[in-house]
Amino acid sequence: MATRVEAQTSMSVSDYDYSSFFYSSSDDPFAILDPYSEWYTRALRTGYYLFQQPMSTPPESRIEVTEGLHHEHIKLLNLASYNYLGLSNRPEVIEAAKAALDQYGLGAAGSPLLSGMMDIHVQLEEALAKFKKKEAAMVFPTGYSTNVGMISGLMRPGDWIIADQNAHASIVDGAILSKANVRFFRHNNPADLEKKLKQTTGKKLVAIEGVYSMDGDVCPLPELVEVAKRYGARILLDEAHSAFIYGDNGRGVAEMYDLEDEVDIHIGTFSKALGGQGGYVAGSRKLYYYLKGFARARVFSCALAPVVSAGVLKSLELAQREPELRERLWKNVRYIRQRLEEEGVDVGGSTSQIIPIMVRNDRRIFELGHKLFRAGLYLQPVIYPAVAKHRSRFRVSISASHTCEQLDEGVQILVRVLREEGILV
Amino acid sequence: MSNKNEGLVQYHYNDAIGGFFEFPTENARAILPPDLQPVEPRHGSSVLAVMAFDFHTSPVGAYSELILAIFVAPRVEPGEAWPRAAFYPFRLGTTTRESREHAIERWHLPHYMQDINIGWERGDGHITIHATDRGQPIVDMTITEHEWSTVDHRYQAFMNDEEGAYTANIFLAGLFSENEEERGGIVIHSQAMTDLLDDWEVNVTPFRELWMKDGVQTFHPLKQLASYAPR
Repeated sequence: MATRVEAQTSMSVSDYDYSSFFYSSSDDPFAILDPYSEWYTRALRTGYYLFQQPMSTPPESRIEVTEGLHHEHIKLLNLASYNYLGLSNRPEVIEAAKAALDQYGLGAAGSPLLSGMMDIHVQLEEALAKFKKKEAAMVFPTGYSTNVGMISGLMRPGDWIIADQNAHASIVDGAILSKANVRFFRHNNPADLEKKLKQTTGKKLVAIEGVYSMDGDVCPLPELVEVAKRYGARILLDEAHSAFIYGDNGRGVAEMYDLEDEVDIHIGTFSKALGGQGGYVAGSRKLYYYLKGFARARVFSCALAPVVSAGVLKSLELAQREPELRERLWKNVRYIRQRLEEEGVDVGGSTSQIIPIMVRNDRRIFELGHKLFRAGLYLQPVIYPAVAKHRSRFRVSISASHTCEQLDEGVQILVRVLREEGILV
Repeated sequence: MSNKNEGLVQYHYNDAIGGFFEFPTENARAILPPDLQPVEPRHGSSVLAVMAFDFHTSPVGAYSELILAIFVAPRVEPGEAWPRAAFYPFRLGTTTRESREHAIERWHLPHYMQDINIGWERGDGHITIHATDRGQPIVDMTITEHEWSTVDHRYQAFMNDEEGAYTANIFLAGLFSENEEERGGIVIHSQAMTDLLDDWEVNVTPFRELWMKDGVQTFHPLKQLASYAPR
């Protein structure tokens, strides 16, 4: 039976997506809930159930997930989690977290500005600043709040924020909250950045990322820095997906390009390579002082839980002490990339540990996701509006903890399903 | 007994193309009536829709049409079918006086009052239009193709003029191709038909490209709106 939204047209449930339900009719804010629920309950069965299926194991190479339709427990090979250095479940990390739990209890019970700052937070901030070779680092409770707090804490109405069009939602939301003027330049395009900067006067911030989370491509930092500097703009580099893994010492894409001093604001998260939670801003001591007062996303949030802070601190120590983790990650990336290339799989423009498996068929992506899931492979489908129309894909995240055998197994399942379904010839 | 097709007006086309370009919301708000909200694919960026039709059969004969419009939030009654998109056409140019007068009288659509010329170049996998007025360029736009399917999509249009504010449902049926591959492009020339746009600020690459072939555009009866003031 067609839903109300389908009435009068040839459109089916797959013609709609989240973006179709942004606006609603009537003066009642709840009016959207009925048509949305009607669509969503049908969409769940056609594939949206693949999102948000609860995991009952650590996000390691092998996981167990409760399937969303029939609530079966299913064992899967995991190529979806961010755990890039495989640290989320390292015994030393768990031990450090357990010790912190004994010492501090569960939560910080306060804003870091007031009673929530604990000595473990100070240790973590000092260790981060030392690692990043910056005067100071500030810890935030999530990666999202890091960008929101940083950008809205510094930029003001009338200022200009020029961001890459693929910038993360946290950069966009920070810009919105700041009430500054915002322009987006074409992805990784220094010429378009220059075009946008030319039109601005006053205070300017260029916001870019080291590695972009959907395409796995790296920013052309030297060219972007050159343009930004020429127009007197400050540079914010979000290394959520590149900190602790890029550069000779793991300090990120800025280190890889030897541009650490040219970047004014270094952002990173603990939830990717370090397998924890939270984020940081690294920069000057003066920036730290200012954000302490004006980064409302931090001021008005409870501090990062001390148990997580201790685990992240240990992860940071391991990431520095064991460069072989990065070497293993990159060896794995090279290995799976070669295997995928041999099989003719389209991986878009990725050069990083994030490898999109380009399906480019919005109508069939969920059907393929279902088959991969049933074949024992855990991958998340990515579809419009998260990516452009007809650029649907599965996103592979490689970890240092994967073995070559596991990567082979993943490629075999992937290739078999893509071939069976005619996506790969 | 009422005829279910009563009040419907049909325009048959060979090709219909649309390029959707990001441009500053400040520019969009300066053009839109105050009660219409621009759709922002990105904060601060609204959508300029540049569309062109090559009609071979209509109540006013064959003609081509260039439309400049802004995507806006749809407005529907509870339970009413949801449109695929809603837009506010703020300037149209046509190749014949009859089509212009018909559209102004029947649909209250705001027109550029000169006959324009629209050249259609159909290539391998792409189509280009060159819109001009007495030799002066207005818009050059290229749209590329993707996979083709047969559709019947509902859209919603908002219009206003000295007499009032209006809305109409428009159905576009026919062969349909849509992509976000960013292969098309536009050049907007400084000219009277485009003078409401800060052309420097309009992205030159469409984030979405539409192409329809061998189809029909059906206008449903106009409804007058009371909720926003005419301008």
